[in-house]
Amino acid sequence: MRMEATSHAPAGLLEVAGLSKVFKTRTGPVPAVQAVSFRVAPGEVLAFLGPNGAGKTTTIKMTAGLVLPDSGDVRVGGESLFARHDAVTAQLGAVLEGSRNLYWRLTVRENLEYWGTMRRMTIRGARRRADELLELVGLSDRARNTVQTLSRGMQQKVALCQALMHQPRVLLLDEPTLGLDFESGEGIKRVVRALAERGTAVLLTTHQLDVAQELSDRVAMIRQGRLVLEGATADVLARFSQPMLTVVAQMPWPADIGERMRGLPALVTGADTLTVDVVGDAGRAVYQVLERLYPHPLAKIERHQADLAQVFQQVMGEGGAESPDLAFAGAAGAEEANGQ
Amino acid sequence: MIGLLIAEWRRMVVEAVRYPLDTISAMVTLFMLFVGLFYGARYITQSPVGGGRLDTVVLGYAVWMLMMAATSDMGWQIQNEAQNGTLEQVMLVPWSSRLVFLVRGVMAIAAFLVPCALIIVGLIALTHAHFVWTPVALVPTALVLATAWGLGLLVASLGLLIKRVGQMMQIIQFLLLFLIIAPLATLAGTVWHMVAMVVPLTAQVTLLRDLLNGAPVSHWVWVEALVNFGVTMALGLWLFGGADRLARRRGILGHY
Repeated sequence: MRMEATSHAPAGLLEVAGLSKVFKTRTGPVPAVQAVSFRVAPGEVLAFLGPNGAGKTTTIKMTAGLVLPDSGDVRVGGESLFARHDAVTAQLGAVLEGSRNLYWRLTVRENLEYWGTMRRMTIRGARRRADELLELVGLSDRARNTVQTLSRGMQQKVALCQALMHQPRVLLLDEPTLGLDFESGEGIKRVVRALAERGTAVLLTTHQLDVAQELSDRVAMIRQGRLVLEGATADVLARFSQPMLTVVAQMPWPADIGERMRGLPALVTGADTLTVDVVGDAGRAVYQVLERLYPHPLAKIERHQADLAQVFQQVMGEGGAESPDLAFAGAAGAEEANGQ
Repeated sequence: MIGLLIAEWRRMVVEAVRYPLDTISAMVTLFMLFVGLFYGARYITQSPVGGGRLDTVVLGYAVWMLMMAATSDMGWQIQNEAQNGTLEQVMLVPWSSRLVFLVRGVMAIAAFLVPCALIIVGLIALTHAHFVWTPVALVPTALVLATAWGLGLLVASLGLLIKRVGQMMQIIQFLLLFLIIAPLATLAGTVWHMVAMVVPLTAQVTLLRDLLNGAPVSHWVWVEALVNFGVTMALGLWLFGGADRLARRRGILGHY
């Protein structure tokens, strides 16, 4: 089964085509990124996922122009980053993982005004925008605090604000919720959603797959520098979901549950859950299962829905790139982006 | 461009005012260094320092302070920014990195003028030296500074690639001291004129010294100072651009 999602990639505001990078090290050349291509449309969040060392940060830094690729191009609104660096950079905002992104000795407001004016805003415009953004992230009362006195979550919100000062059309987020508590993480997610609704194209890398699943419209996975999967998040999840129903009881199953299910395509998967294979004609089996369960009280019956963690595990752990479907998905995405 | 100037000026002033101990300790260090040199030399030689030309000694030290600040600031900034994790954001602004760091160098000197003036007042009080500042010294002072900024770009180029420039700064301090003292620009002969055009700052310092002393200034010294400034600045700009590209190609911009 092919990953149809890849053939429906929308027109990109951010277009990354055939990026490759080999780092020369003392132990020899290390291919970090190989022919990676993708697009992010206006108002879209692309989750760019992969294990440590897969090439995510190198890709995002090449997209920002902080690392020069050996080959490939990055285009924003049709303009090449490498041909028109200043003009394209003016449309990009980035929060980079492992960097503070801010001057700790300056206050929140001073930081935002500084980064705003550095991005060609007037002082008055930067002041107004700083107020808007601080209001958006709920830090208006902290405007006069130096950044070093803020919590990690607040610092991350301010870092996000500095990246948004000049209202970039493309936002690059490298691990924006890493190490944040629940409330701070939720705050960042709310802002990302709001930005996407206003038309910002967001490229997001994260190891928090639940965050990726919640925020992303599309997902791309990279392994050993190669794109191995790309598609609409919903399509990818549907593709990896199994044709099964899960039956959950209100209390533990009776002791003879195994005996009751004998001869049916049902498997007890927990003290109060069992899964029923509903492929083809076997779909009728669920009614037989329910009949045999009667009158045991049930809590819910739901279709099996894969989550990104399961997809990730399958793609990365079980030779996803070697799987014909997945390999095709990556290649198709790359070819399509290159063809633009 | 004005936004860039204002942004950098405000950042420097805010940091200097909010953390005055940094500025004060730098001023005390520079003052104490002079005191150490001044009294140390007098004790060792048992004779007046500067052969009775104290004004020249104080002036030379003042120029050296400015040159040091102009030469080292960009390198230190790159080291600190890489260490603190802001260098990559600086490289993401829609201005040429050369322009950004040059503006920072200029603003650093602008912010250093008041502390520098206070140190000079302290030195004059200590040594009872007399010197009169004349407007005619403005151009050679600007040439000294502009050349030092060119040298600063050279140092900053290395900073982009190796980040830790602290040890190099120690060597450069003494190199600058040598350039101030070495009378290369006053030596006669075509070879020495050529040397003075290539070796940074020596002609500019000679020009400044002669103008302030009211001594006659040869046209050659002017030519040497201007050519030297042009060569140093062009080399600094070219190498900084090259180092920027190389750091991005190697992917080490944010490394420390």
